[in-house]
Amino acid sequence: MGTTSRLLIGIFFGLLLGLLFGWVIRPVEYIDTAPEALRDDFRSDYVLMVAEAYLVDRDLELARYRLASLGSHPPLNYTIEAIDYGVENDINHIDLQTLNQLAVDLRSIPPEPEIGLQ
Amino acid sequence: MNRLGNLAILVGLILGVAGGLYYSWAINPVEYIDSSPDSLREDFKSDYLTLIASAYAATGDADRARARLAWVQIADLASTLGRLAQNSLADKRPDAEARALAQLAAILGERPLPLIASPTPRGAATTTPAPPSPTFTPTSSPSPTPSPTATASAPFSLSTKEAICDPALQETQIQILVLDAAGFGVPGVKALVVWDAGQDIFFTGLKPELGPGFADFTMQEGVTYSLQLSQGVGLETGITAESCADGDSEPFAGSWLFTYQQSASP
Repeated sequence: MGTTSRLLIGIFFGLLLGLLFGWVIRPVEYIDTAPEALRDDFRSDYVLMVAEAYLVDRDLELARYRLASLGSHPPLNYTIEAIDYGVENDINHIDLQTLNQLAVDLRSIPPEPEIGLQ
Repeated sequence: MNRLGNLAILVGLILGVAGGLYYSWAINPVEYIDSSPDSLREDFKSDYLTLIASAYAATGDADRARARLAWVQIADLASTLGRLAQNSLADKRPDAEARALAQLAAILGERPLPLIASPTPRGAATTTPAPPSPTFTPTSSPSPTPSPTATASAPFSLSTKEAICDPALQETQIQILVLDAAGFGVPGVKALVVWDAGQDIFFTGLKPELGPGFADFTMQEGVTYSLQLSQGVGLETGITAESCADGDSEPFAGSWLFTYQQSASP
């Protein structure tokens, strides 16, 4: 067996070992995630918590701030996503109403002008 | 040649491992897009706990709050909530936030947290196991039953003031116990302590193991304090660490326990 063949065999098994180690034995650990990485059900529940708190404190700015943790999209989008998730999963009517109230109030805020547009 | 061949295999292995690790760690790492609250970064986890507390304060749904707390998977939850409440006060955030955290801490003492059916393992790929059924469940939600909280219409008044001479107590404390008209502890009641050089605020319920209506404040010897409940009647003044004697042992500084009770509804 030639040197090149041995080198290729070594690379092949080395790659296998590397992938095994990197994907199975010691994969990248995401232990410090942000709320935007939450699974759909947890994200929806996060939005529901924001909506529940909002129903009492009526602090829309605080609600928007909390929803901003879910990503860079407008907070209304996350609320609508949560409502969609709730409808798909047949959640109870009270929770849907709570989410809907937050969505209605968020919708009442005029959209912020995009930077750079004249 | 044989030696050169073995060297080639070794070099190949090293190159291969390096390439494999680079691919699996940098180019195409395990994606973690479906995380659960327990994997949140510490600051986000604190925000998450505060949000749970705010939602609980709004709805009074203790079962839902417990389920949400269980997903965060924090070992010493009560003290964590207490620390968050203290931080909230120190950061001059709204009192409602600290009060909500105190009320949430108080429900921990009522019964154990539910176990999570299938905790999400760290580092799992996008195919994470089925979620523990979130609070966001298709069940009919009965009217929430809030834990006892103070009402502005029924103030608390001091019912007893006791000196505590307990050498086992590590600190000299002002302890308060706030009870409703029925004699149950009330969490989330704000107390203000004032002394010459400053003041501090603390809330009942941050140590649920001592009861939902309990709170304490550490005194300094030689300092005179005043105490007032935000929803209380009257101001207690001249509170100092009294000297206690226990048999033949050296005198030590004692503590005070103030018990407040809500008057019957008007």
